[in-house]
Order: sequence, then structure tokens, then C-alpha cells
Amino acid sequence: MLDFFTIFSKGGIVLWCFQGTGVTESFTGPVNALIRSVILQERSGNNSYSHDALSLKYKLDNEFELVFVVGFQKILTLTYVDKFIDDVQLHFRDRYKNELEQKGALALLNSHFAFEDDFKMLLREAEESSKARGPTSMRSFNASLKSQKTVKSMIETKGGDKGKEQGGKKNKNAKKEGKAITTREKAKASTSAQKTEENGNQGLTQEEIIQKKREEFIRKRMGAPVEKPSKSPKPVKEKPKGKEKRVWTLGGSSTKELDYSQSNGNGAHAAGDQGLDAQADPGDLLAVDYESILFKMFLSPKKGAFGGMFGMLKGLVGSKSLSQEDMEPVLDKMRDHLIAKNVAAEIASQLCDSVAKKLEGKVMGTFTTVASTVKGALQDSLVQILQPKRRVDILRDVLEARSQRRPFVITFCGVNGVGKSTNLAKISFWLIENGFTVLIAACDTFRAGAVEQLRTHQRRLNSLHPPQDHGGRPIVQLYEKGYGKDAAGIAMEAIAYARNQAFDVVLVDTAGRMQDNTPLMTALAKLIAVNMPDLVLFVGEALVGNEAVDQLVKFNQALADHSMSDKPRLIDGIVLTKFDTIDDKVGAAISMTYITGQPIVFVGTGQTYNDLRSLNARAVVGALMKA
Amino acid sequence: MATEPGINMEAKIDARENPFEPYLDALKKVLEDQDPIFMIGIVVSLAVVVITVVFLKYILSRKTVQSAVLLVGLCDSGKTLLFSRLLSGKFKKTQTSITDSSAPYKAKNERGSSWILIDLPGHDSLRPQYVEKFKSAARAMVFVVDSAIFQKEVRDVAEFLYFLLTDSVVSRNVPSLIVACNKQDITMAKSAKLIRQQLEKEMNTLRVTRSAALSAQDGSAGASVHLGKKGKDFEFSQLPMKVEFLECSARGSKGEDGEADIASLEKSLAKL
Repeated sequence: MLDFFTIFSKGGIVLWCFQGTGVTESFTGPVNALIRSVILQERSGNNSYSHDALSLKYKLDNEFELVFVVGFQKILTLTYVDKFIDDVQLHFRDRYKNELEQKGALALLNSHFAFEDDFKMLLREAEESSKARGPTSMRSFNASLKSQKTVKSMIETKGGDKGKEQGGKKNKNAKKEGKAITTREKAKASTSAQKTEENGNQGLTQEEIIQKKREEFIRKRMGAPVEKPSKSPKPVKEKPKGKEKRVWTLGGSSTKELDYSQSNGNGAHAAGDQGLDAQADPGDLLAVDYESILFKMFLSPKKGAFGGMFGMLKGLVGSKSLSQEDMEPVLDKMRDHLIAKNVAAEIASQLCDSVAKKLEGKVMGTFTTVASTVKGALQDSLVQILQPKRRVDILRDVLEARSQRRPFVITFCGVNGVGKSTNLAKISFWLIENGFTVLIAACDTFRAGAVEQLRTHQRRLNSLHPPQDHGGRPIVQLYEKGYGKDAAGIAMEAIAYARNQAFDVVLVDTAGRMQDNTPLMTALAKLIAVNMPDLVLFVGEALVGNEAVDQLVKFNQALADHSMSDKPRLIDGIVLTKFDTIDDKVGAAISMTYITGQPIVFVGTGQTYNDLRSLNARAVVGALMKA
Repeated sequence: MATEPGINMEAKIDARENPFEPYLDALKKVLEDQDPIFMIGIVVSLAVVVITVVFLKYILSRKTVQSAVLLVGLCDSGKTLLFSRLLSGKFKKTQTSITDSSAPYKAKNERGSSWILIDLPGHDSLRPQYVEKFKSAARAMVFVVDSAIFQKEVRDVAEFLYFLLTDSVVSRNVPSLIVACNKQDITMAKSAKLIRQQLEKEMNTLRVTRSAALSAQDGSAGASVHLGKKGKDFEFSQLPMKVEFLECSARGSKGEDGEADIASLEKSLAKL
């Protein structure tokens, strides 16, 4: 039932593959998609991934640098897959240890891995084991323990009295009402009354009720006197007997019963069992063994002290393979460090899980500590996250658009007060420095003074680059329609105007909006879906902490939901503003790129026109990992 | 009277020598007192230290001697398959590489020289790290281009090539560059000549846009190496390194079981 199973090295060479019967499509596409979206984006904490109709599960072997991937149809729920991958991995490693241990790729290229038979055997085993745990058939009533108990043993005296009393009363009423009531109805009434009284104490099951009813019916058929009325006077009679001396089951006439040193609390269970089901309640919480916990806590530091010394020495010399427990303390420390540097909490934990998965089982060289290996791996993954996954060259794209005789449209979106208008002005300054004509579309029709702000920027930029230098035409123009109008309409008109007047770039400024304000998010999604800008930039400030995750997720969600097409326009890039206000707490950059997978295109480092930079991944990661 | 200053001078000289003299005498005495074997031991150990230092310097400098050929290129251009074909001649299915692979390669020439062939991953987020790691050890770079989808990717290809050529270490070491136009077995594949022309045009534009790019936030500017000659259109012949364009097909025209058409590539590699 598996569609395919591949084993390939991290260097890209497929060592062995299996394609299920009837599967014609190549698996290269889905596996590549898995690699690019999960492993390379450091989301390997969760080991399953779905691509179209296929569901893929994978396992990394870090000692020999292998990846094991299995693919099956998403609609199937195969329970044996996880264990199956582990078994295959162990088997493969054991069998081909010699070839895999050799360094260099020659061994992998030259050896032929004939794993077919082993694989088929393992697959058969896995399928059988999953079938073996099939649904168990229900036991018949006679086979169960309940049928061996009598009804009387299951009724506790106290609750039973009350119930019978009520039942008796009700029966009297029933008698008064009329003899037309059949015995069965009486029985029902009595049993239902009993039920209501005995809710807490016994909880008579359906079977017991049926049993009772049967007995009563038989009795009535026999003509025996009805039990209930006969029993009801009894408790009435019994009451004036006086208060019975209460017998505590655990009270103990002798102190011997109070000595629990042997039984460890089982004595109490045994006494209480008589009134209840013989089968233990599965939901019963075992008593927390307080003493043993204290004992463990006391012992472990001692062990740890000795183990720690030897562990340190062991760790320095010789090859030691990393396990989850070894990495745990270091990863916790790194997680806290990242959170202290303003990385969002869930991103930090996902990153640490992914690094743990990447390092598990890896063999460390001599004189390398666990901490240094983990830190190195974390640094590599952080640099990898910050590296753009596509080419980022705005000027080149603008030239391309110019050659196609259309304007290059950039839209800025973000929450309130992050610096959209200021950074828009900085970007237009950079563009006019490089000789492009810019049209600013004032689609912020809500905020007071937004249009005037952009007009002031336009005037300043024009004075810096006077029109005389560019053939008499002002290099920056503002397209505005005042306040209160529809932003999407203004954007569309602005783009048409730019196309007519042969502007190179259109910068669309939108109003700031909170991510959970649904009508405003819908309006933004409409603006982007209708106008199809070349670049949708999300402007986020570097001061934001955990909020960054929420903002980006909700913005992307809104853009995806309200777009009509199959391929919705999502956020294409991030502008990180107010970078000069944070010293080395640069974690927001990581959070934002991790969530969207999009690169940081601009970094705003101040409030003048020149304060626009690009991102240097290594410098940011260096500042992040600095103690 | 004339002798007096002379005597004074002598006295002064004597006085100057005198403070050193007792120390020298003491040293001489200590050395003489010591066992000659001990003396020899000290001399030998000093000599060993000196030799080790010289040796280390030699070895360390040898490391930077370029002894590797890098297979670079965009994602999905066929580097790993080319790697497999060059080393073993076999066809292997490949996936996107996550790490580098390296193996020694024996060139097909009379000398039988062998160097290390390194296949670097082409994915955009891994590329810069691996190039950074291996660029100093490169004596030649094989830049693999997917000729079939070249038209769509021309800007990405040119950007990567620009990044390689303007790197400070590369422009210092000047490794030879072989541009292998791969996937020639596909009918729509572009020829090496066309690819060369397109790349030259693109690099021309990139020279302008890249130099106008923003500097990084910590002040470090991009590469300041200017490619080619100022004022003239960019051509690969203007570069200080040897550039060669050739066509090849790692898959081979007969599909998976046939030979790969990498004869020209092997010839060029033999010339290195």
C-alpha cells in the first residue's frame, strides 16, 4: 500500500528506491518538495509532510548522512509507517555498514544496494503486525465476570435502603393509581427510581437492571409477593432500631491493619473492592509515590556528579554519537537564549527541535563538545533561514519591467505605526538615485494627514533631484484622490496612469491595519488580488516579539482566503524597520523569515532618506549567537 | 694629558663591560657545569621545535594550494548526476542535495593527475555557505547550466555567476572557469554560443544594478570588484581567468542505460 520508499544520501544520490505496484508517477518531485520545504526551511521537528494527494514521512540518519522517505496516499491511514521506517533504517545501516562508513562519495556511487528482499520482508512484518491488532470481538455476557455476580452483592446496603424505600413509596402510589399498571411498569418505575437514587454510589449498568427486571418478572409470575413493598416496611421498621454503630473499614481494631509498610496501600484497595466491580477502573489514578520521587531526586545529583566528570572526559576524546538526552540541556539553554534575543517563543522551540533532529545520531569528532556542535548546527540553520530562497534584485526587476513597457508595482502593507510611509519615501529616494521615475499612490485614505505626508515627501524628493536634470519631468509624482475613497480603486487608477505616462515604478501606500480586523483585511486582500502587484512587501518593525508570528500568519491567511485565483498572491518580501532601535536583539528577523519563508528585502535603520540597507545574514546571526 | 682621556675611556669601557662580565662568566660556568649530554639534549629539542614550525608553515600553506574542482550551478541543473557520471560512469537517480559530496578524480590525460571533485548543493539557501567554504580550495570551477530552461532562468544564472566572479578570493586565485551547458539531450536546449551571448548581455546589466545595490546594515558593502573593462560591454574574454563554454549531457542521448555525452567536459578537465 506504499506508493514509494527511497533511501538517498544527503549529497543527493539515490541509493535504493522502491515503487509500489501500479504507481507510474516519479517520486522525485514530491521528495524534492519535501526537501525544500521541510528540511531546508528547518521545519523538521514534525516528521510528516503532505504534497498534493501524497503523504510523506521521513527520517534522517545523521551518522551516515542518509535520508529515508516513504510516501503513501493521504487518504489511507497506515499505522505501521513510523515503526516501519525505524526498522528499515536499522536494517539498512547494519547491512551496509561497511560501504556507508567509508568517507567520500565513491563508495556510494560504486556499490549496488540490493535491499529488495529485506525490504519486502520488513514490509510484510509491519503489515502483519498492524493487522494482528485488529478489533477484538465483544465477549458474550456469560463469558464476562458480571454474569457470575449476584445482584445482591452489587447493591450497597445504605443506598439500597433508600432506593427500596422510594421504590416502595412509588409502588404504593402506583397501586393507588390503578391496578391497570402492569408489573413490568412497576418494575420499571422501581428500577428507575432506584437508578436516580443510586447514581453516585453504584451506577448500575444496563445489564444489572435487565437482570433485576427479569428476576422481578419471574417472581411476579410466580405470584410471590412484591419485594419492594415488603422491603419498604423493613427499613421503616429498622429505623427505630436506633443508630447502628458505624464500622470503618480502615478504622482497624488493631494497629496491625494500619501498618502499610508491606502492602504499600493495596490494603485499602482490597477492602473497597467488595462493593465495586472486580475489574479495576481504567481511569483510576495511581497514588503518586511521593517518597520514591524524593529518593530519585536525592540520588541523581550524586550520580550526576560522577557521571558528569567522566562524561566530560568521554566527550572530549573519542567518537561519541549524539543522543537526545545529551543535547537536551544545551538546546534548552539555546532556546532561552534565542527567546531572550527577541525570537518568538514557538519559532525558537521549533528551531531547536529541528536542530535536534538534524544532529541526532551524529558522531562527533575528538575535542568537540556537545555544546559546540549544537551551537555550530544552530548557527548554520539560522544563516540558512536568513538566506533568500530566490533572487532579490529589485533594480534588475525594474529594468525588466521597463523593457516590457509596464510599471513595476510595489505594495506596502503592515499594522499601524511600523513605518510604511517613511520607508516608502526611503525606497523612492533610492530608486530615483538610480534614475527611475516613481509614482506614489496614496491608498491610505483613512489616516489623518497621510496624503499630506506623502505630498511633503514628494516635494522634498523633487527638490533633491530637480526636474531639470531629468528632461523637465518631475521624477516623483503623487497620485491621490483625497480621503474616504476606496483604496483598491485608487490603486488601479494609479497603475493605469503610470502605464500611460511611462513611469518606471509605482509605490502603493496602504493604511495600517490590525491583523484581526476582518473588514480591513478583506479590503487589503481585495486591493492586492485586483491589482496584482509585482511585489507585496510586508513592513514589520524589529521591535516586535511574539506578535510577529501572529501578524504574518493572519496577513498571509487573509490574502490567501480572499483571492479568487488558484495561486493567490501572498507576501513576497519583508521590510524590517526600526533596526537601529534594537542593539543585538535581532530575533524578529528570524521569526519573520521563518514564518513566511520570504526574504528580508530592505532594512530600515533610521529616519532619514539614506537609512536604507540590505540584510547581511552572517552579521545578524553573529549578533544573535553572541552571548 | 692626552692619555688621560684614553685611560678614562678604557676605564669607562672596562666599567661597561664589567657589569656584563660577571653574568657572562656565571653563564659560562653554569654551561660548563652541566652535563654535555644535557646540552646536546637542549640543542636537539630547540632544533626540533624550529623544524616543526617550518614544517607546519609549509603544510598550512599547502592547504591553500588549490587542489579541488567545484561543481557549481543552480538547483536542478544536473550537478550531482554529472558528478556520478564523471566518477563512475553510472547513471544514478538524484534528489536535491543538502550537503556537499567529494571524491578523488583521476583525469584522463597522460600525466594521470588526480584531484578532488566536489559537488556543491545548488539550492539558494545553501549555496553561499558552501561556496564560502570551498572557494579558497578551488583550482577550477565547473559551472553547470540547465540549457533547456535557460531562457527563464537567465537572470538567476547570471546573478550566481556574477557573485562567483566578483568574490574577492576567486578574483585573487583566478581559478579557470568551465561553463558546462548541460541537458543537451532535450530538444529545446540552447547551444553554448547562445548561452554565452545571453550571459554576457545579462552580466552587463548586472554590473550596473549590483553596484547600485544597497549596502548591508552593518556597513559592509558588496563586492567592489569590477568585471571586465570599464566603458566597454562585458565579454568573458575580458576576465583574468580562463573561461570555456562547452556542451554536455549527463543523462546521455540513449536515456538511463546509455553513456553520457561528457567527452568534451572530460577533455577540458584533463587539460587542467
